[in-house]
Amino acid sequence: MTSTEGRVEAALADTADLRVWDLPVRIMHWLLVIGTGVCWWSGVNNELEYHLWSGYAILWIVLMRLYWGVVGSSTARFVNFVRGPKAILDYATTLHRRDTPHAHGHNALGAISIVVMLGLVLTVVVLGLFAVDVDGLYSGPLSSYVTFKQGRHIAHLHYDWFNILLWMIGLHLAAVLFYFLYKRQNLIRPMISGKRQVKRQGEAREPEMKIVPLWRFVIGAVIVSAIVYAVYIGFYF
Amino acid sequence: MSVLSFRRVSAAVLVVFGFTVLEAAAGPAEIAQIKPRQDKLRDMGGALKAITDEIKKGRLDWDNTILPNAQTIKDRSVYLLNWFPKGSGPETGKKTYALPAIWQKNDEFQKLGKAAQAEAAKLNDIALKKDEAGLKAQVIATGKACKACHDDFRSPDYEKENEE
Repeated sequence: MTSTEGRVEAALADTADLRVWDLPVRIMHWLLVIGTGVCWWSGVNNELEYHLWSGYAILWIVLMRLYWGVVGSSTARFVNFVRGPKAILDYATTLHRRDTPHAHGHNALGAISIVVMLGLVLTVVVLGLFAVDVDGLYSGPLSSYVTFKQGRHIAHLHYDWFNILLWMIGLHLAAVLFYFLYKRQNLIRPMISGKRQVKRQGEAREPEMKIVPLWRFVIGAVIVSAIVYAVYIGFYF
Repeated sequence: MSVLSFRRVSAAVLVVFGFTVLEAAAGPAEIAQIKPRQDKLRDMGGALKAITDEIKKGRLDWDNTILPNAQTIKDRSVYLLNWFPKGSGPETGKKTYALPAIWQKNDEFQKLGKAAQAEAAKLNDIALKKDEAGLKAQVIATGKACKACHDDFRSPDYEKENEE
């Protein structure tokens, strides 16, 4: 055994995996990334048939995320990561420091970005439900409740709000990059593996993530699917 | 100068003057196409939407909704290609989605316009026959015929459309 390997081993023995994100959170996050990409592409290229399907997918994901934010694992719940102004300010004042401990789950500032992004995605999707295309062919499932002119106007709002969402996504990516380069904290890997490496000593012992059983997710999936289906048929039962 | 030649000269002057006036008037005439053409196309889009709405609702009101709207699309489509005289594009300086490609690739534009007319006529036939089975497919075919032209000859610039 070379000395390098020995040191690596010693370093590894010194760390442990801490679970940060449960499977539903990770799956929903990456599905949302894919879904948003497909929506962006199909929207810009006027491939509205695909745009409709990817839009339904995003509606499903966002509703599921909201549901999971109430009944999901500890780091997914809004009550655990949405902070008041004081906590946010406190966190913001330490942002320039490199020695701050890793936040378990969303940090106070990141929480704002998550809530704003979810809100924006929901806004864009809801506007899309009422939007009318220029041909009057591939309109949103609820467009029969508005006139052609109103629906066209909503389609423009749908586009404008999506642009705001893009800026927010840009900020989100910039923040992840900032943590990686400046704070030397890799936020991407935990969003893939669900785990983050922590030193056994040194860092104070953090509370383990409370994982809830997956059947809760299944129940939500059934309810949310029913809602999305009702939207799909325009509530014309 | 003989009387005859005076007449000839004055006739020639008048003709030249007349052409000049016509030429000058060509600008406003083409500009005048833009607004009504947008209104008429919007009516057609609204008419197709009215029919797709009926399909969504799952109850087809043939006499009050589908037939009159199919007829609107068909009637308007007959004049479709007349609404785009040369010179009524963005060069007017007016707010228009009409792309210069309409006149640069006019053969293709005409072909798509005629295809849309054919689909609109078929849609009207189906509405007259109250052919429930054929309606949905023909609505899609008609909408796609509209879209085919919009994809290549209409500006996708979203910010432009927020006029009244």
